[in-house]
Amino acid sequence: MGVYIEAQRGIGEETMEGIIDRLRHLVAENMNLSVKPEEIDPDAQLLDGGLKLDSLSLVKLIGLSEREFGIEFGEDDLCMESFASLRALAGVIAVHPGGQDSGSHIATG
Amino acid sequence: MTASIASLIEQNAGSRGKSENILADDVYTFRLGELPPLLDEIDAVLLQSGAGAGACPAMECNNSVPSALLTLALMRAGRSFMLFPPSVAEDIKPVPRFCSHRIVISSPQAVAVPAANCFGIAANPFYNGKPAATEKLYLRTSGSMGVSKIVVHSHARLLGNARNVVGKYGFTAESRVSIPVPLAHMYGFGAEFLPAVIAGASIDLQDKTNVVRYLDHERRFRPDIVFVTPSLCEMLLTAFRKPRTQYQAFVTSGQRIGEELFRTFDRTVGGRLINQYGSTEMGATAACDFGDAPEKRAAEIGRPMDGVELRLEPRGDATNTDVSGDLYCRHPWGFEGYLDEDGEWIAKAAADGWYRTGDIAVKTPGGSMIVTSRADASVNRSGYLVMLSDIERIVERLDGVGEVAVVAGKKETERGQSIAAFCVLRSGAVLDGTQVRRRCADLMPPYAIPDEVRIVTELPLLASGKLNRRALESLVA
Repeated sequence: MGVYIEAQRGIGEETMEGIIDRLRHLVAENMNLSVKPEEIDPDAQLLDGGLKLDSLSLVKLIGLSEREFGIEFGEDDLCMESFASLRALAGVIAVHPGGQDSGSHIATG
Repeated sequence: MTASIASLIEQNAGSRGKSENILADDVYTFRLGELPPLLDEIDAVLLQSGAGAGACPAMECNNSVPSALLTLALMRAGRSFMLFPPSVAEDIKPVPRFCSHRIVISSPQAVAVPAANCFGIAANPFYNGKPAATEKLYLRTSGSMGVSKIVVHSHARLLGNARNVVGKYGFTAESRVSIPVPLAHMYGFGAEFLPAVIAGASIDLQDKTNVVRYLDHERRFRPDIVFVTPSLCEMLLTAFRKPRTQYQAFVTSGQRIGEELFRTFDRTVGGRLINQYGSTEMGATAACDFGDAPEKRAAEIGRPMDGVELRLEPRGDATNTDVSGDLYCRHPWGFEGYLDEDGEWIAKAAADGWYRTGDIAVKTPGGSMIVTSRADASVNRSGYLVMLSDIERIVERLDGVGEVAVVAGKKETERGQSIAAFCVLRSGAVLDGTQVRRRCADLMPPYAIPDEVRIVTELPLLASGKLNRRALESLVA
């Protein structure tokens, strides 16, 4: 028994945009911002300026992202740089060994 | 015998062991050895801006090195000043009329700006000309009506309070103290920052704390003492992916930390969580010891700080058969009293030193105490906590009103639980409930106005002579 982790995928532009799109929906639907997903600028600051997510929304975003992409952030992923913008967060998710979608990136066997 | 903050800063700067310790935030990092000339620069900036000796500034204080330096410069010079947090509610005027200047700290963004120039000073246009007192710190209580009282502390007693904390948690020059809680409050300033300063410890200031910023600071600064709040504990638990064994003390405050949260967080930080009991008025008052069992640390107030006494006064309610009582505290380093916006005394601390904390507590068989509730009834209205006693204080000042009692009803209104006021008029006064409510509208926020005001000829009393609130409560729907 062991855990087999599939090798990382490259971050193709398409994949990144897909992740960003899912993150935009996640933020629009759960953060009480009353914005449409397409209105969210993926390069806007998430915390201090831009979207101005408060400390509780940030905790929520961490949990929702983990569930949405089937990953678990390591502590080193949880830094201001990762949460600078949705694009930055998408970059962290894209290279996460847990895989960035509900596909079979983690297989046991 | 209290060494002044000035000599402590000089000692830290000159001491071989301490001078290399740092004071840092997201932008600035200074060695303690560099502080005295920096404070001289700040003195010069204050002087140039007309806020030199004789001025009493009110200062918007965030968790930044410039804020910290400014407080140290003002304390070193024996000046009186007020601290208020950056995000005060719109309806609270943060600068009282007795303060001559307002200081605003610019957000730390660019290291290009010297720390000593990171603030703006303006004369207070509403200054009433009152001469500044010496060596006082003014802090606001969190008033539930948009009106807050101003708590007066002396610098000497603040240092006494800080010394108690140093001894309690073992702050030393080797300590690395992280401050994510507001520096503008007694908890952050009096109970964490000043103890770290007098111990000559390294200090890291975290502004706008969130979990990822916390982790960044933790990686960079490697703190071993940190003061938090119950809500920060809850957030950190979601971000801590492995146990923390590096902490010497994780201090939280407030009874609202649930037992389960306490136990879980305590396990995560290796049994180093302490729930400190304190207030804006008294500072750090009591805390359990690290050796106490987790269930004791989760529930009990713990051992009073050096020189502090606690006692329970049985409640004078005839129907009260339990052993709970009003918790009183006598603190050698407590506050001096409350001021109003003009700098006049509203009330001085009791001459015998006993202060009613406003908490109800019970004694444990072991002689410790557990806080069970607040003495002042409050209701949640439109998301705001409204103290019924605060409404009483405003209504009883209305022309024609003699006595007043405010109770919560059982009805849910669109603003929350209903509030009813019972008023006894002064002889000759002609007023009805609607008129009282209308006058309330000028003096309190809409959510605090009683839904119902009844004029009565007398208020029901208990045999003890105290107000029979339960009788009034049974009268309202």
